[in-house]
Amino acid sequence: MSVQPVPLRFRVGFRRRPGTLGSAWRQPLAIAGMVLAGLWLIVVIFVPLIAPYDPLAQSSQLFSEPSTAHLFGTDELGRDVFSRVLWGSRLSLPLAFFLVVMAVVVGAVLGGLAGYFGGWVDEVIMRSTDLVFAFPTIILAMAVTAALGPSLRNAVLAVLVVFWPSYARVVRGLVMSLGEADYVSASRLLGASSRRALLVDVLPNVAGPVMVLATLDLGNAVLLLAGLSFLGLGAQPPTPEWGSMVNTGTQFFQRWWMGTFPGFAILSVVLAFNFLGDSLRDALDPRSSWAVQGRDR
Amino acid sequence: MLTELVPGDPAAANLGQRAIGDPAAVQAFREHYGLDKPLPVQYGLYLQHLVTGDLGESEQSHRPVRTDLSEYVPATAELAITSILIAYVLGITLGVVAAVRRNRLTDQLLRVISLSGISMPTFWLALVALYVFFFKLGWVPGSGRLDPGLLPAAHVTGLYTVDALLSGQFDVMANAFHHLILPAFVLAAYNIGLLTRFTRSAVLEVINNDYVLAARAKGLPERTVVLRHVLRAALPPIITVGGLAFANVMTGTVLVESIFSWPGIGQYAFHSATTLDLPAIMGVSLFVAVVYIVVNFTVDILYGVVDPRIRVA
Repeated sequence: MSVQPVPLRFRVGFRRRPGTLGSAWRQPLAIAGMVLAGLWLIVVIFVPLIAPYDPLAQSSQLFSEPSTAHLFGTDELGRDVFSRVLWGSRLSLPLAFFLVVMAVVVGAVLGGLAGYFGGWVDEVIMRSTDLVFAFPTIILAMAVTAALGPSLRNAVLAVLVVFWPSYARVVRGLVMSLGEADYVSASRLLGASSRRALLVDVLPNVAGPVMVLATLDLGNAVLLLAGLSFLGLGAQPPTPEWGSMVNTGTQFFQRWWMGTFPGFAILSVVLAFNFLGDSLRDALDPRSSWAVQGRDR
Repeated sequence: MLTELVPGDPAAANLGQRAIGDPAAVQAFREHYGLDKPLPVQYGLYLQHLVTGDLGESEQSHRPVRTDLSEYVPATAELAITSILIAYVLGITLGVVAAVRRNRLTDQLLRVISLSGISMPTFWLALVALYVFFFKLGWVPGSGRLDPGLLPAAHVTGLYTVDALLSGQFDVMANAFHHLILPAFVLAAYNIGLLTRFTRSAVLEVINNDYVLAARAKGLPERTVVLRHVLRAALPPIITVGGLAFANVMTGTVLVESIFSWPGIGQYAFHSATTLDLPAIMGVSLFVAVVYIVVNFTVDILYGVVDPRIRVA
């Protein structure tokens, strides 16, 4: 097979975008984020092989301090805290990914509808996002979970309710400005098809902000889910979930290891996503270098 | 209205196991709270009461929601205001330092610290801080707003420190402050991270302007240049974050108050949510939403004060 010469315009477009992303991965912060996230990914996949004990198995050794036998000590039922922390990743991480993907999908569909149809459809959808934004996240999530009944499934639903509006707004803005921006008109004047205008000129400019938002939201999702479980509204005992483990830790708070280690797990996961999201933003928008976008927990 | 559509049954949540088997008790409960009337009528009644400032009666405390709120709000207000003050002072300081030392080691360090601040689960930070500073070091009292033996000063504002100051009871004031300091710092962690980041980028936007160069050329000390010329111009975007900082504090109180046994609306919101106390949930949500709007409005006004261009426009 012979090598085909690549048309000039593709080469120019190709060099522009991956170049900016490539620089993101060379930052120390991004590398730290990748390493942390990678480690947790390995844990999620290989938990059954890594965890020394069954996370639900009770023993007669109650409240033993961290030792070589029990790296993070044992809890009030004699369960191994280290194993429970490792197994906790199988809940938090996949759920966070699922939540953010769902939020992007729901937000994109509703935001797309709002932007495309306008009129009352737009009004209804945008006023719903206003409604969600009017409340501090956890109060709304708490009310939703409490109303549906405390369970992990309902907590996930509640987080979805508070997460979709930011994506809906971004996507609505895109759909409405589609074809109106000068650089898009310019591209079309140069003879680009509408498909090319959409894929080459518009999509990369939306993919960036959405990707940054989504990466940071992975961390926010982990935090909010853990917070709800901490309040007893999410995962129920004996499920090894980080937030509810910290809650148990507050009840036996002199046994510091029971709450401290699950908390470290939450912190390291959220930190990994925030490191990645932050570096990504730096790479995509050098002007706003390590700034933060308005987005609460 | 949304809260009326939820599948949970308030009668079941509030009457307990035995009473729920007694149809007469359930009926009486429903009649007392107007749950026997059709939905539109319920909503109409609610709105009618709302315009007169009546938020209904809590199904848990059996008191008007307004009474409940007036008891819990000052506790949260004291905590929230202290926490936001701490966050602004520390956040702006760290942000300016990071911007001045841009891309140096200090800057990178502050970046990691501020990212840690916004990545920290508040409830966990509260637990760890309580263990270290109360249980291990004994520097601060563990929970509540005052030591058990002390009585709060005469009620004026409901803020214990301010009330004690007004009545001249300095021992009470010191004690209330002592109780306040740890939860306020824990609550501030997220906002310190947030404000450091905002301040840094706001300062960097203006620090390379020609007028800053001119100020330096005049031979002004670096301190004066940074504080008077740079920070002054960077203030508007920093103030804008106020609304967001407030929302973060409200989120934090729900988690932090439960750990520090702080009798504020965070705990009240949590208890009413878990017991499906609908009038109370509605009351708290409305209250928070209204305060949120007022805060954002104030921020807009402040923006005009700080940035004369907005005033003219």
